[in-house]
Amino acid sequence: MNTDDINLAYKVRHALNEQLDTLPASTTDRLAAARAAALARKKPEESFLQVKSAGSGWRQVFANFGGFVSAPAMSRLAVAVPVLALVIGMGGMYQHEQQQQIAELADIDAAVLSDELPLTAYLDPGFSAYLESQQRRQ
Amino acid sequence: MATDKELNDFLENVERRAFKQAVYAVRKDESALDIVQDAMIKLAEKYGDKPAAELPMLFQRILQTTILDYFRREKVRNTWVSLFGGFSRKEGGDDDDFDILDSFEAEDGSSAAESSADQVERAQTLRLIDEEVQKLPTRQREAFLMRYWQDMDVAETAEAMGCSEGSVKTHCSRATHALAAALKAKGIRL
Repeated sequence: MNTDDINLAYKVRHALNEQLDTLPASTTDRLAAARAAALARKKPEESFLQVKSAGSGWRQVFANFGGFVSAPAMSRLAVAVPVLALVIGMGGMYQHEQQQQIAELADIDAAVLSDELPLTAYLDPGFSAYLESQQRRQ
Repeated sequence: MATDKELNDFLENVERRAFKQAVYAVRKDESALDIVQDAMIKLAEKYGDKPAAELPMLFQRILQTTILDYFRREKVRNTWVSLFGGFSRKEGGDDDDFDILDSFEAEDGSSAAESSADQVERAQTLRLIDEEVQKLPTRQREAFLMRYWQDMDVAETAEAMGCSEGSVKTHCSRATHALAAALKAKGIRL
């Protein structure tokens, strides 16, 4: 665009701006009301939201972290930490159950080995028949 | 991050120009006011936490989208009205298939054309300029108003319009030449 074109553009701009001053009062009032409505619904600041929503416990802890970590990172952390805690908890429970099973089996083994009765007695069908007859007598 | 005062000042600064921009596009004051209100609320609700420097471009983009949404709704509404209303054709006329991207030069304003170019008063000149801006093809008018009225640079205008910077320059150049020719034809010297 040459200088004449740009001059014309700015003259048109000036004319349009002058036109704005002639807008009726009802229009400017309505625009002011629209502006007020928009401001009333303004998106609150991120940090304000966090502090406001933070109640107690871990939410408070996350809110305090807000100053050091960015908002998207905080939201990712808020999902990752509970998931990690759940995985660690499940793993711990599995380990605990395994240990208990091993301990029970060890107790049984120890009881069998330390008994006066020899281990081969349990494999003898005659011994089983003897135990049954003993139970019947009682 | 824009404070409440910064957002208020920004909206106060642009609201009348935004209203005129919407009027140029939809040609109805009431609809234009609704569009500007919608655009303001969308800006505040979704981008109220953005820095004040980003607001002009964001607002322009929202305003253009809201105007397009208005035309889409109008088109759907007109389709239903023409389906169920026997007499709606007479009322709607050619505007039923009106689309923002297809809207090119409107008819010459007869009252304005008849007025004597030698006796134009200041107010009449302004009105004529206003009319000529309104008659510009939509994309040319958008580019021209954003660049020279809203003080947006070429890159911002291109982003708001969703086109290349080259297209913005072309639209602006054509708009200026069209305005110069139209105003010259009416004997208006700026």
